[in-house]
Amino acid sequence: MKKTWLKTGTILVAWIFVGTTVSATTIEFWTTETQSDRMKTIQLLMDTYQALNPDITVKLVPVDENEMPSQMAAASAAGTLPGLIEGSSELMLAFGEEGILDEKGASRLVDKVGKKRFFQGALKMMEVPGGGNYYALPYHGWVQGIWYRADWFKDAGLDPPDTWENILTAAKTFYKPQQNQYGILVGTKPEAYTEQCFTHFALSNGAGEFNSSGELIFNSQQTLDTLIYYAGLAKYNPPGPQTWRARDYYIQGKLAMFFYSTYIMDDLALAEVAAGSLTNAHFPQLSKSTFDSKLVDNTQFVATITKTKPGAYGAIVGLGLVNQKSKEKNEAAQKLLEFLYEPTSYITFLHMAPGGMNPMLRDIASNPDYLNDPKGVFNRYGRNKIEEIISGLDNIGSFTIVAGKTFPAAGKIYAKQIIPRMVYSATIEGMNPADALKWAESQMKSVINE
Amino acid sequence: MELTPEQRESILGWQLIAPCLGVIGLLIIYPILYNLYLSFFDVKLTGDKIFIGLANYEKLLKDTAFYGSVLTTFIYLVGTVFGTTLVALLVALLMNLEFPLRSLVRTLILLPYFAPVISVVFGWQFIFDPVNGIYNHVVVEVLGISAERHNLIGEPKTAIFVVIVFDIWKHFPISYLLIVSKLQSINKDQYEAAAIDGYGPFGRFIHVTLPGLYFVLGTLIILRFIWNLNKFEDVFLLAPNVETLPIFTYYAAFTGIIDQGFAASVSVVQFMLLSFLIYFYVKKVLKW
Repeated sequence: MKKTWLKTGTILVAWIFVGTTVSATTIEFWTTETQSDRMKTIQLLMDTYQALNPDITVKLVPVDENEMPSQMAAASAAGTLPGLIEGSSELMLAFGEEGILDEKGASRLVDKVGKKRFFQGALKMMEVPGGGNYYALPYHGWVQGIWYRADWFKDAGLDPPDTWENILTAAKTFYKPQQNQYGILVGTKPEAYTEQCFTHFALSNGAGEFNSSGELIFNSQQTLDTLIYYAGLAKYNPPGPQTWRARDYYIQGKLAMFFYSTYIMDDLALAEVAAGSLTNAHFPQLSKSTFDSKLVDNTQFVATITKTKPGAYGAIVGLGLVNQKSKEKNEAAQKLLEFLYEPTSYITFLHMAPGGMNPMLRDIASNPDYLNDPKGVFNRYGRNKIEEIISGLDNIGSFTIVAGKTFPAAGKIYAKQIIPRMVYSATIEGMNPADALKWAESQMKSVINE
Repeated sequence: MELTPEQRESILGWQLIAPCLGVIGLLIIYPILYNLYLSFFDVKLTGDKIFIGLANYEKLLKDTAFYGSVLTTFIYLVGTVFGTTLVALLVALLMNLEFPLRSLVRTLILLPYFAPVISVVFGWQFIFDPVNGIYNHVVVEVLGISAERHNLIGEPKTAIFVVIVFDIWKHFPISYLLIVSKLQSINKDQYEAAAIDGYGPFGRFIHVTLPGLYFVLGTLIILRFIWNLNKFEDVFLLAPNVETLPIFTYYAAFTGIIDQGFAASVSVVQFMLLSFLIYFYVKKVLKW
């Protein structure tokens, strides 16, 4: 009897020991897809990965993109860094420059996934200066543009908003605050959306942060002209500081134009999303508008804006491996990254926001499974429109790349939100644009010198 | 060596408070000292520290936005601390009177304090939304008081006042609770004696009620000073453009790649400012 107990006890202890050793590797995956429906899909992918790798546990953590730098700093100080992070190319460059990303691991995986399969422009945005190595791997990307009411433009006899002049004329024409209708939505709050809108105009006027030799050239006539124009345009915004959330006003028929990425495609196409917005279904006493089922047909998209040159803007979101102290954790994170690039998991991920999340691998972009999304958004817009958007990803500009060279300092400047704070000062606080620009330049210099 | 009874008592006293001292040391003294230590370093994300002396303080004191935030904090503190106390005092005086359904009203008054901050902040943002909010609808369309819509929470000139009103509304119940409990303990005989001496309602308030409430009001004001100087969530969630010191610290240190050394120096200055304010208030205003 005693022996049986001893045996059972030994087996139990061994099982607990082996069991805990086998399932010992736990890593965190920090995603910027914080919406609950997207979290559900990513969790499903993590569950699948864990089923395939019973010795690894992945904890999925949603982190707002604006909060990512501070969260990483806190985790770094506490010694609880995640294994894998999702974030914009600017953030990846900034983190890479700080030395917390596993460049070697990322570069090895780029080769393993297939360097030539990537859209080269996107891959370039993750490159370590000097070439050859990568801070992170591009995973998905979006293109920004002006979405506008083509029916209103037609009735008013206006040209599409593809030049500075056309945009300003249209914004003035449709700005009718007495009727609670506004001309345009551009970002004026000090946050990422504002920088994205401003950069689009800056690129179309030939403004930049650095020249090809790495000198800061932000305080230029081109940037000043852009800021003056932007401050003038922002007068036709809905009142007060605004950010991307004000896109609801467009869905309610109270805005003529707004800057947004291709993420809006499913929002515009799916009535259920709009119904969850601020319509008179919820507040019958507030407005006379109803959800417009013809909104998709009446909405057109302009991706390229021209002043002195055509400017297109978008962002590449990458997956970065974070340096872990444990070899097992590093390997588990690399394995997870590899799993996310397998066609089935990749397409599942991208289908969370059809049109918004565009693939970074050429073969996925033309994969029939990818083009047949479960929400039917691609069918609604047509294959040509989707291919046009994806091809646009190769032409997008950014402050972080000049003449084929990456400038990680631009990533740090982005993370510090200097440009949006400058725009906020010039548009909302009434600061003179030249002074605001001077202030931004001094802030940029101190970031570079740190 | 034989210990005297006083020495033994003293040792026992130290033994009894030792666990408490340990906890305070670990949770309060150590972080303050470590924060002070960090403020002299450039702390890298990788954890490396480079000694830079007073450079963080120099950077802070050269920043004009810092002085702007000190002014904003001052306006916020004066507005919220005195606003809360006055409203709480007024409500407490009313609630001290006898009227039907008094207990129900007393309970309802506490609701803003109990409601989770995030939900009431969203509620306020909906109310003041410039395009769809009920405030603009009433002011512009129903009453016609204003010809144009305003973004009261967004505009920097008005945001500070919305934040003050929000804080008063959200936090007066706790001050009210303390005041009303003290009010109930003031002896009614004193009021009668004052009435016999010829004092009217206002005179009775000045000569009986206020002296009775002196220490409660003093404590409330000092507590709210401390709480509100460090208040982050209410202000940041409702109007992140109102840069009080905690919000300034957040933007200066936690936006972008974190600068822990600089953040520590801002916290040290904030701590010193708070200590000075409290010292001044206790010694000069309350004369405790």
